[in-house]
Amino acid sequence: MERGRLMLRLAFRNLRRQARRSLLTAAAMVIGGGLLIFSVSLGDGTHEDWIESGVRMGSGHIAIQAPEYAVSRKIEDRLSTQSVAAAREGLRSPDIAESVLQVVPRLTTGGLASSPMGARPVEVVGVDPVAEAGFSTLDERVVEGRYLEPDDRLAAYVGAELAEGLELRIGSRMVLTAQDAEGEISGQLVRVVGIFGTGIPEIDQRIVHIPLQTAGTWLRAEGAVTTVAVLLDRSRAVKRTAHHLEDVLAAPIAAGDLAVLTWQEAMPELDAIVKVDDLGNYMFQGITFGIIALAIVNTILMSVLYRHREFGVLQALGFTPRQTGTLVMAEGVVLTVLSGLLGIGLGLFVTWFFWRDGLDISFTWQEDWTFSGVVLDPVIVPLFRAARVIQGLLFILFVGTLASLYPAYRATRIDVAEAMKFER
Amino acid sequence: MTETRSVTSSAETPTDRAAVRTDEVWKVFLQGPEEVQAVRGVTLVIERGEFVAMAGPSGSGKTTLLNLIGGLTRPTRGHVWVAGHDVAGMSARALAHMRLQQVGFVFQAYNLLPVLTAFENAELPLLMLGVEEGERRKRVHELFERTGLTGLEDRRPGKLSGGQQQRVAIIRAVASRPALVLADEPTANLDSATSASLLEMMEELNRETHTTFVFATHDPQVMERARRLIRLVDGQIDSDDS
Ligand SMILES: Nc1ncnc2c1ncn2[C@@H]1O[C@H](COP(=O)(O)OP(=O)(O)OP(=O)(O)O)[C@@H](O)[C@H]1O
Ligand SMILES: [Mg+2]
Repeated sequence: MERGRLMLRLAFRNLRRQARRSLLTAAAMVIGGGLLIFSVSLGDGTHEDWIESGVRMGSGHIAIQAPEYAVSRKIEDRLSTQSVAAAREGLRSPDIAESVLQVVPRLTTGGLASSPMGARPVEVVGVDPVAEAGFSTLDERVVEGRYLEPDDRLAAYVGAELAEGLELRIGSRMVLTAQDAEGEISGQLVRVVGIFGTGIPEIDQRIVHIPLQTAGTWLRAEGAVTTVAVLLDRSRAVKRTAHHLEDVLAAPIAAGDLAVLTWQEAMPELDAIVKVDDLGNYMFQGITFGIIALAIVNTILMSVLYRHREFGVLQALGFTPRQTGTLVMAEGVVLTVLSGLLGIGLGLFVTWFFWRDGLDISFTWQEDWTFSGVVLDPVIVPLFRAARVIQGLLFILFVGTLASLYPAYRATRIDVAEAMKFER
Repeated sequence: MTETRSVTSSAETPTDRAAVRTDEVWKVFLQGPEEVQAVRGVTLVIERGEFVAMAGPSGSGKTTLLNLIGGLTRPTRGHVWVAGHDVAGMSARALAHMRLQQVGFVFQAYNLLPVLTAFENAELPLLMLGVEEGERRKRVHELFERTGLTGLEDRRPGKLSGGQQQRVAIIRAVASRPALVLADEPTANLDSATSASLLEMMEELNRETHTTFVFATHDPQVMERARRLIRLVDGQIDSDDS
């Protein structure tokens, strides 16, 4: 206890004695810590944005589907009316409901859209117009007309490129053809009420929204859906909420009636993009801190070599080699932790102060703000997470400890008799 | 502060009352292809409470012998016992404990840690030994008073004269009441008046505490005051007069 205090006292005073060297090293650490927080919070903000867009366009943070649907994508593998009811009931349970923002039912099938001008393969999504408007961002991308409304029956909301290909206008008629639940080919006449444009070709060519009821009747699957998509208030709660939901829905899951998928499982490409980008950030930080670690090694090692005699005195007094090494470690760790804390604090403050409302990076982009099927917002809003700050601190502590190891080892190896020679 | 903690050697002779015992101890340094025989078969007994000076020409092996006794250097051959503990067989860690408990060192200069005050320097071994704060203060203050250092407790070594620094180093060496204080040319950097008062201080401590003092020195004053004078020549004992 008192020995520990002595070690710390010696560490602090020795750092102060070499104030200039300590401050230079600390400055590197402060900048590193600041950069770490800046890049992490902006990175997390960007990813949250990607995930948010991807999730809203796609299957939500959590998708409830029939177990085989993920692979087959066929209407045969749909959720029955009872399964949908069970899923909705599960989503209303106490621990889950609080993080659920929006739930939408969707009946999706592949088919053909035809007009007098020809036919195109499409993905027809039967939606609940009101719920869908609060979930997807597609309704905000109207170029002409309007999004679906609750009273619509034979209405369709189509992408701009499909409309162009089939020469559709507001009010145009088009026939959708697909295999129904009983395996029969079945057609449905609909009228275009709105045209959207996202800038993403796959979406603008293929997606057609029609009212859920219309889809159900047409495909002879009334009350059934292929996906219950769930939007949560925070993308971080996904895993926990999914686990909760699996517990609550244990019975229907065991019966093979439904499966709970996280967005990572439902959209593995998006997950991969986020991970690759994170990896890039980690590598950048690894390199930054590698350089900082070298600065620390240099500072502490210099101080060890310069104070050879002092360590000799300590060992002559009865310090064990290990205690001598601990003293050196203490210096390195104190230096890194203090400056790391300062850097992280500074990083948090600066990022929050200047960019809390977002960092507009649109000047670096082309006109097309899309990325792998996701429409991006050119304004990055930093996201501050306590876990990340703690992670950053631990990382800095790790770097400091690692960087002090070699100098500490050198201090344990001092030949005392040699160090005490007066000529030195 | 148990003595057994520091003992790892089987050659221990706990009944040994001598402060130092060496038996045919050799130290050979390898300097490239050349062998330097710094200490050549020294056999020696120093009893508790002695006040011994080792003299001899430069290079005669005084420092090396002192370092062998204090466990800073390992013997090439032979044995060294300090307060009955065989130094040769000890691990680095056990040696450190042995030094902490049994040996105080005073070197020619730069003995003190520059970042600690005079008081903090002096109490360092006591603190490492786990002596509680009240007892530490008492002992160190008493020694400061006795050696005329009162009032300088909070000064850093850089703000003390050479003689004051050596006094603090001696206080540090004796405060833990070791069996043995090894001093390598403690007066070499001091003028003769300062040396004399320093020696007086050590004699007094030696009389009052029965701490054993062993000096390596060129200083005639030290040789005069010593009650026993060992002369080394070429790493061997040339004469040993009480
Ligand atoms: N680490 C070492 N490596 C090689 N030779 C050494 C080493 N240390 C001491 N020696 C040699 O051993 C011999 C004895 O040295 P030592 O320092 O013990 O002499 P000393 O009596 O203390 O001399 P001085 O009065 O000059 O202090 C000398 O020849 C010295 O060069
Ligand atoms: Mg010498």
